[in-house]
Amino acid sequence: MTIRTDPEGNETDALFDLVEPEGREVLEIGCGDGRLTWRYADRAAHVTAIDPFEDAIERAKERLRATDLPIDFRHVAFEDFAAASDADVFDVGLLSWSLC
Amino acid sequence: MVHALEQIHRLLRRAGTLIEIHPALEVPFVEVWSNGELSFREDDPGFDYEDDLRSAEQAVATVVGRGLFVLQERRRFELRTHASSVREFQDHWAVVEAYDPEEMEEALVRRQDEMFARSHEVLERSPGAELMYVEPATMSRLMPTG
Repeated sequence: MTIRTDPEGNETDALFDLVEPEGREVLEIGCGDGRLTWRYADRAAHVTAIDPFEDAIERAKERLRATDLPIDFRHVAFEDFAAASDADVFDVGLLSWSLC
Repeated sequence: MVHALEQIHRLLRRAGTLIEIHPALEVPFVEVWSNGELSFREDDPGFDYEDDLRSAEQAVATVVGRGLFVLQERRRFELRTHASSVREFQDHWAVVEAYDPEEMEEALVRRQDEMFARSHEVLERSPGAELMYVEPATMSRLMPTG
């Protein structure tokens, strides 16, 4: 057996109850290795998923190569990403276990 | 935290949505399940980040109070991580915890190790049993204003 996180889908059920990512531009902050990203990205128009930890992002990118999901994983701290970004560009912001 | 929320407000379109997920102010716990029956349940003695959670709650309350966001809805859920052994779970957790700059106090580490040792004993007695680490969490939907 390998580790399984949330096979019950509790987190995704709550997410889809609160937001419909269909056709929307999503920014996920603190995506880690994409544990949550994989579960909704196929519904979004595009996902920009950022994390300051390079090894986690590298694992996410490695897994992404085997898919055609519309995800751009980036190794960047949110402060730097925000400073370099235009205003009013995302439909959904997802703070993924990263506020504390 | 407040500054990060202010930045997110700037990046979001006015009709946008912010989803914020963080652990609930509840102690995570460990369970062992065997043949559909709960055979072990103990709180995680390593729960030492209550202040961080209160700060996160306060940051959300601050930006709502300033009128940057409207808190529309909040859900509680449990994030369950399943493993076949304590070793498997701890190997996984070591990767997750590697991103946490704060080290747990030695006394808490010892109590946590003792708890996992007890759960290991239960797992050993029940072939096919499964360990679950359960993290209560909250998910909030906020709408940017202004």
